[in-house]
Amino acid sequence: MFEFLLHVAIMACLYGMLALSLNLQVGFAGLINFGQIILFGAGTYGAALAFANGFGPVAGLALGVAFSTAIAVAFAQLGRNLGADYWGIATLAVAEVLRILITNEVDLTGGAQGIAGIPLIFGDWPRPVGPLMTLGLCLVILLAAWWFCRRLTESRFGLALKLIREEPMLALSLGYDLNAARTATLVVAGAMAALSGFVFAHYVTFVGPDQLVAAETFLIWAMVIIGGSGNHLGAIVGAILMQFLFAFVPFVKDAFGAPAEYVAAMRLTLVGGGLLVFLMWRTQGLIPERIGDARPAPATGRPAAARMVEKHNG
Amino acid sequence: MRKLIVTAALLAATSIVAQAADVTIGAVLPLSGASATIGDDQRRGIELAVEEVNAAGGVLGGKLNVIVEDSGGRAPSALDAAKKLVTVDNVPAVIGEYSSGITIPVGQYLVQEKRVHLNIGSSSGLVRQLGEGSFSLIGLDNVSSGFAAQDVIDNGWKKAAVIAPNNAFGQGVVTQFEKAFTALGGEITTAILYTEGQTTYRRELQQLERGAPDVYVYSAYGREAATISREAFELGIGAGSSPWYAIYLSMCTSDSDPRFIQGQVGMDLNNIGANGQAYADAYQAKYGEGFRSSFNGYGYDAVKMLVAAIEKAGSAEPAAISAALVEVGADYEGATGPIVFDADGQRSKQPYEKLKIDDGIKPR
Amino acid sequence: MIQFVIDVVIRSVDLALIAIGLSSVYSLIRFPNVTLVQYATTGALVALGLQMLGLPLIVAGLLACVFVGAVAVVLNVLIFERLLTAGSAIAMIGSLALSMVFSAVFLVTAGPRPQRFELDLNPPIRFLGARFTDHQLISVVISALAIAAFALILFRTDLGRCMRATATNPVLARGTGINTRRVTNVVVFLSGIMAALGGIGISVKGEMSAHLGMEMLLPIFAAAILGGLGNALGAALGAVVIAVAETLVTNVNFGPLVGESFLFVPAAYATAASFLLLVIVLLVRPHGLFVSEVKRV
Repeated sequence: MFEFLLHVAIMACLYGMLALSLNLQVGFAGLINFGQIILFGAGTYGAALAFANGFGPVAGLALGVAFSTAIAVAFAQLGRNLGADYWGIATLAVAEVLRILITNEVDLTGGAQGIAGIPLIFGDWPRPVGPLMTLGLCLVILLAAWWFCRRLTESRFGLALKLIREEPMLALSLGYDLNAARTATLVVAGAMAALSGFVFAHYVTFVGPDQLVAAETFLIWAMVIIGGSGNHLGAIVGAILMQFLFAFVPFVKDAFGAPAEYVAAMRLTLVGGGLLVFLMWRTQGLIPERIGDARPAPATGRPAAARMVEKHNG
Repeated sequence: MRKLIVTAALLAATSIVAQAADVTIGAVLPLSGASATIGDDQRRGIELAVEEVNAAGGVLGGKLNVIVEDSGGRAPSALDAAKKLVTVDNVPAVIGEYSSGITIPVGQYLVQEKRVHLNIGSSSGLVRQLGEGSFSLIGLDNVSSGFAAQDVIDNGWKKAAVIAPNNAFGQGVVTQFEKAFTALGGEITTAILYTEGQTTYRRELQQLERGAPDVYVYSAYGREAATISREAFELGIGAGSSPWYAIYLSMCTSDSDPRFIQGQVGMDLNNIGANGQAYADAYQAKYGEGFRSSFNGYGYDAVKMLVAAIEKAGSAEPAAISAALVEVGADYEGATGPIVFDADGQRSKQPYEKLKIDDGIKPR
Repeated sequence: MIQFVIDVVIRSVDLALIAIGLSSVYSLIRFPNVTLVQYATTGALVALGLQMLGLPLIVAGLLACVFVGAVAVVLNVLIFERLLTAGSAIAMIGSLALSMVFSAVFLVTAGPRPQRFELDLNPPIRFLGARFTDHQLISVVISALAIAAFALILFRTDLGRCMRATATNPVLARGTGINTRRVTNVVVFLSGIMAALGGIGISVKGEMSAHLGMEMLLPIFAAAILGGLGNALGAALGAVVIAVAETLVTNVNFGPLVGESFLFVPAAYATAASFLLLVIVLLVRPHGLFVSEVKRV
């Protein structure tokens, strides 16, 4: 049981990174990204391609961040003229096109068979020391990312982002470069997602296109919304909560003697139903966004994304 | 059998109490998702074997349990399931999965954890590289595609168009078939890897037709196979002199409307060996129908072989089972025919059958 | 060539009905409702269930359409009206979440195995070298009639005028005495019917499965966006464009260019073609091909 808990905790940290990354986009810059999983894929394939071509993990990480930066810039360019919901669909389409590309370019990416045998982090260490150290590493990365996100959003840049999210026209008239700010956000968020993917590849030791389906993006969305968009801690809490719920669905099945195929249905209900309940009755999530510095009480119950899009549509 | 029971009873009586405890093994199967039909059938084979083993006194004096987990047809869920089986249920051996793209990471993980892995459904050549402790009860795709290529050539078809799903299994089948078929002097007019989960494959089918092949070779499962057969019928492709040839016929046709597949030929795993008739009867009696796919027998054999290995080793420790499996696999007569492992623990001989569809699957 | 046209038409109607439903709802309540693709699956599933109970297909289909329309209205009142108070992006994510719940329900009720309608089987009809079946023909005709009826309602009835007025300026529409909430729910009902009809149409021509809706999601969104979300008949044109793109990609023979007899773009890229087209159109015409709307920031 202990080792299974370790595994779930490691995965929760990796999802926590992804949720932090998406939250930066959705909660702070108001970017409705439905292609988040491909930024993660940039990291997994960076690690896998470096390994397959005989380069070390440092090259893998660099490659992953390079991929994610390229995708982030492309997303940002796409977003120049688009309304938020159109842009969301466009990112979903780009992510799918890239996944189809990965599946088909067998010579380059290993195709649907994926790339296997990527070295395990701390694989030389005896168990359970290896997994424990992996968890330690993931925790350190997650905390560092959290610290970084807080610094970023409390800086002038973060305030500019919020202004852009709330009053894009005003921000424009004050001389803020909307496109540059959004591009920077996407690049930073993309690098975080790629880092998560890189560690995932070296933890699971297998990378394939099946890991990059759109449903994974929706799972990350559920984490952010349930945790509370616009709040870093909320995103992390949402990720940990969802990951643990997911991991323990099979135990519920064992306890009730339900057939194994119900596991899939129960997971879908958890993600979909959980999202829906929060969207309808607690839109601000478990841990609401803090408006203003050091002032605890939230001024509004509605999350950042909603307000931002209303501005767009209004 | 009686001797086994006596041995087990003796062992149980003479050794420490822990050895009389129940033995639990694991299985990861696609019980939901695109391959759910096959996954469910694999589970039937496993179920039957477990019932038989327990009716005959269990294993090492205890009861045999199999915990079946759903992979959902996704590699991450399958890995979660495998990790649960290994670290929580602490099973010495795991049976599974079905799609090569999932079997490979699951097998890798199990080998890493020094547990026994039994592949009962994936035929990708990459399975061979998993390493010590991983066994295949099913012939890999170089064997099956070689057999199919020879069969196609023997029927006098020199130009073949090939279609298979764009996944680890399909990419393996197409590559291996192409290799074997051209080596035999045949020509591949078009090879298509289709995207799974579409509502129509008319475009793919018409692209195949352009090459005017002598035969259409396909390997597909579930809804896509049904749709391909239906649309081929509707387009009149394969109706005339160029028939459809299925690699793993029962898998290709398990979900199809019988009217659309009439007249197809193909090959399949010979899932009934000399000892298999009793198994086939038991399946019929329990589920009230004949085999739904050709894959259930491998689940059955996997459980039976594991039990034989555990009894032989006198222990349910993974390393002991693995060593004993090598011995058991030197010459084992399973429901799916003789199972002989090569040096890599892969089934070296796989009997196949030549079949046709004529109001049901018939031998040719 | 004729086969090409037939393929395009069949693919177009598969996409068009659901895309029209999506687009017309968008025109009134300004968010792309993902659940519409699940309404399509629900329609097919209910029709299939009713047929199994012994009803003729036409009756089963009609009942299923009305049922799905009602479900759409109920869900709109119970869920989406509330979600929309939080904004359109929230409503869209909510519709995605609701779709997942639908998927779970399908998995438990219908199971993961594919199913099909009980239909008579006729050999393909041959016409100038092209091949099609009578089911395809009937399905295309019914879809075309449904689209025509929808267009008539939109442009020739009082209801249609109220719909268009509400879409253009809801505040003004309310001011002139239009009950915009009722108009919206009528449109939602119609969109449910269109989606269910689309789902039944797809299933009659092929196999029906629990995954049908989610697998159609992107091509249908591509069609609706190409046509300009909110422009119902534009969505039908968008569906044609997508169908042409997908069919063309796999049918153009590049062989002669490189001195071989056959060289096609791999069929696996057919789906990528429509998504790529979507991205390109959005780059050039951010609000679709058939809309001239004021640019948003």
